[in-house]
Amino acid sequence: MASGRVKTKLEKTGEIVAYSEAAVRNNAAVLEYCRTSMAALSGGTAGLLGLTSFYGFAFYVFAVVGLWGLILIKAGSQWKKYFISRKTILTHGFFGGLFVSFCCSMSFLDNQIVLKMNKKT
Amino acid sequence: MVATFLQKCILCFGFLSLFHAAFSAAQHRTHLRITEQEFDSLPIDILIQGIVSLFITMYGVMCIAGDFKEIRATVDLESRSWETLRNIPSFYIFNHRGKAFSPEYSKHLAVNHYSNQKLSLEEWTS
Repeated sequence: MASGRVKTKLEKTGEIVAYSEAAVRNNAAVLEYCRTSMAALSGGTAGLLGLTSFYGFAFYVFAVVGLWGLILIKAGSQWKKYFISRKTILTHGFFGGLFVSFCCSMSFLDNQIVLKMNKKT
Repeated sequence: MVATFLQKCILCFGFLSLFHAAFSAAQHRTHLRITEQEFDSLPIDILIQGIVSLFITMYGVMCIAGDFKEIRATVDLESRSWETLRNIPSFYIFNHRGKAFSPEYSKHLAVNHYSNQKLSLEEWTS
């Protein structure tokens, strides 16, 4: 029932806008869920496509930008209603996702490396 | 928002397609190994299937993750009326001295103010 605490921010125009903290946190949780899933999936895909080193990183950046586009499509033209800033959706949690992605791609690549080693011995 | 059946289907389809791409890639590598060719890159159809199914799965995950909420604080207050705002349960009063005029009023209950209050509260809740 209670709307929770309220955060305020001074706009460039000098207007003070009040944000509901519960809603902001809900949106951040949805974003975090999407980003973690995306990192795991893109890591897996990079692993199965055999993209390593620089190509793997480029693929991760490609996936991050793709997710950003998908989120903006979902939010629609009125993204200002749901997010304080559009840029933070893109950059926030970039490196955290990178580690998840790296682990996933390694686990996929490992499979293939192990197969190769088995063949040699 | 509860994810609809269609969105779950999209997610499942994306995952299956991704696994199919992975299976194709593994088979391609096995084929290369058996025929002793050098691996340079995967065939373009597996590459495209992998990327497209990644995006389909991402779309499904995004649908399942839930809806965004409006972050402006005033939106939450707009839907509430004055009656609901004024309603504060901690300040409810169930006791009134006017009840002494009631024909069913017994003096016995009025002896202890505390028990009287408790009784009337029980009457109210039952």
